Amino acid sequence: MKTTVLLVIGLALAAPVWAQDPPPLSIRPFAMATGQSFAATQTFNATFGKALFPFFGGGVQVVVHDTFFVEISASRFRQTGQRAYLNLGKVFQLGIPLTATVTPVEVTGGYRFRFEKFPAVRPYVAAGFGSYGYTETSSFAEPGDDVSTRHAGFVLNGGAEFRVHRWVGIAGDVQYSHVSGILGTAGVSQQAGESDLGGIAARVKVVVGR
Amino acid sequence: MLSVRGQTVVESSFAILQNVGLTAIDEGVIRDESHTPASEQMVRKRALLAALSTDRVSASGARYRSDRLIVKFRDEAAMGDRKAALRVASSTGEFGTRASYADFDIVRLDASEDPEMVAQALQGRPEVQYAQAAYRVHATAPFVPNDPEYATLQWNMPLVNMEKAWEIQPLAGSTITVAVIDTGMAYQNATITATIPAFRDGAGTRYPALGKVTIPYSGAPQLVGAGNAGRIVAPYDVISAGVNPPLDFEGHGTHVSGTIGQLTNDKVGPAGVAFNVKLMPVKVLASTWDVLFGGASSEGGSDDDVARGIRYAADNGAKILNMSLGSSGPSNCGTNPNQVDCAPVIEAAMRYAVGKGCFIVVSAGNEFEDTVPPYGTNPTSVLAEIASRISGVVSVAAVDRAKAHAYYSSAGPYVELSAPGGSERGFGRDGFVWQQTFDYNFTDTFLLPPAQYRAPRFDVLATIGYIGTSMAAPHVSGIAAMLMQQGITDPAAIEDILEKTAVDLGTPGRDNTFGFGLVDARAALRGLGLAK
Repeated sequence: MKTTVLLVIGLALAAPVWAQDPPPLSIRPFAMATGQSFAATQTFNATFGKALFPFFGGGVQVVVHDTFFVEISASRFRQTGQRAYLNLGKVFQLGIPLTATVTPVEVTGGYRFRFEKFPAVRPYVAAGFGSYGYTETSSFAEPGDDVSTRHAGFVLNGGAEFRVHRWVGIAGDVQYSHVSGILGTAGVSQQAGESDLGGIAARVKVVVGR
Repeated sequence: MLSVRGQTVVESSFAILQNVGLTAIDEGVIRDESHTPASEQMVRKRALLAALSTDRVSASGARYRSDRLIVKFRDEAAMGDRKAALRVASSTGEFGTRASYADFDIVRLDASEDPEMVAQALQGRPEVQYAQAAYRVHATAPFVPNDPEYATLQWNMPLVNMEKAWEIQPLAGSTITVAVIDTGMAYQNATITATIPAFRDGAGTRYPALGKVTIPYSGAPQLVGAGNAGRIVAPYDVISAGVNPPLDFEGHGTHVSGTIGQLTNDKVGPAGVAFNVKLMPVKVLASTWDVLFGGASSEGGSDDDVARGIRYAADNGAKILNMSLGSSGPSNCGTNPNQVDCAPVIEAAMRYAVGKGCFIVVSAGNEFEDTVPPYGTNPTSVLAEIASRISGVVSVAAVDRAKAHAYYSSAGPYVELSAPGGSERGFGRDGFVWQQTFDYNFTDTFLLPPAQYRAPRFDVLATIGYIGTSMAAPHVSGIAAMLMQQGITDPAAIEDILEKTAVDLGTPGRDNTFGFGLVDARAALRGLGLAK
């Protein structure tokens, strides 16, 4: 209790982060929640009834001289829907449960901008690549029916980080990802002519560290 | 018996006391080859039917009814114009009262006029959408094999992955009605009284009149066993316009019905594909006994009968229509329907039924090795060719138990799917498709020598083996019923699914022998995931 009180007092008395000299190297873990609109809209609509889903995960950023950064993150999406058919735009769901899991591991490098007038806001852009795990399991599967694979993709993102405290920042960005090699060769995605497991995502990160 | 249905008055020459009769005698498996295409029994049966027929034969060899013509006038043509058009084309033609389940007219002709010639004269007139002779259609596979045990005889079910499909869909089509447009069905007990005249068979041998006889008839216990009384839906005999019940006097329709929905998991006999479906017997094909009873002018059916059967089924709740029947004709009826042997009346009926949400399965034909002048060997099956042009209607070829092309199965660009039809070549009786139907030793008594000839009885059933695309089609009908129960209600979608989930055989991709390949019940019913 005593430690907590001292910590709160210390934080309250501390100078604003933007008023402090940044460290030359900062390692900052973060937690992340993502809402992703999958590019394979018809495929996800057919199976799950919608194509916008949350991912949850986290990662770590390494910031050099407060401007350049490298970020590695991992997240996970898991959803249960139904096996289906798509025919001339009509969806026929079959009532056979299907669970899909997507686990992206992404590495990006980027640049953080600094505006003298708004030192608490740090816009950034980044680009990188990812490795995307995908599993698909269904009822009545036989050996070889379920899917477990991992393919590469690339990402682009841009957003801003808001420093709310010396040790805590909240970042929001929009990320575009493109992942080929998983969808499009069979299944509903082939019927829909969709081959991209990526999409547009809105991400919110809580960053701990300076 | 005189009865009225709709505007059609038909007098029946024999009487059927429905639901009066004893239950069937089930003899179990009869293992012989009497119902293969080249068997002596089948050759004699065909000769007898030819001797009894009053049909005309076209230059192409096709048989058609001598007393009628099918005409579809354009909607905007006034009755006066229609009559005038008919007077120009025919000196004896008279409009009959429009039959039930028909959007076309039947013109009655005197025997002195050739319906094909009159049809040709009408085809060029602006009031006429199409005109055709009433060509005979026939069951595509009166080839019978036999047994009661699924494990020992029914190689055909595992071949299309039925066991795993039943796991996915254990209800097996319980909410779906499948119309069996065929020779009728042994669906109830009855007592038939008929006066059977003398006749000569194809060799000229005289068979004596049997006079007035009483004939027992039983429903097939493996179709309508105890506890499933509601299974039969709206049975209808097109040939008698509903006067008679659509009882099967041949065995073909009952066998086909068995493959679609024979009672299963009851420790008796073989299994059916969608063993809980409701069945709608629609009789459009007459048998030898229909002719000898005086209930039909010739064996088989005609295009108008088939068209009306399709429309009846569509109007009365059937969602899957099985048509194990066909006829030979030119390959270009799609671009030129107003030519001899085409059947625009059936095409129109099929389109009508698909428009009402029906999925139709047509057998591809058994003429691969047959020569039919002027169409040559392996002639086009007219109805299967129509099927290939309509999304929601599928034509089905046959494979043997090794998944190879069945020697008789017609091939051409109209073949869309394959299913087990069986073959005795290389497999003997083990290559047949087995279901319960009549023991023909008790029904086909006209094949016996005259001294042994006697009245038939239709109360002795057995597990009999047949071969043909007629046997292949009902596999697809049963699987389609199960798909429909899964929620796939669009006929075009059902066809698309069956074709895309079929196991590719022969040349990679669609080919003229197997179409898109062997139907796979499990793959079709399990559907698709996102990636696989």
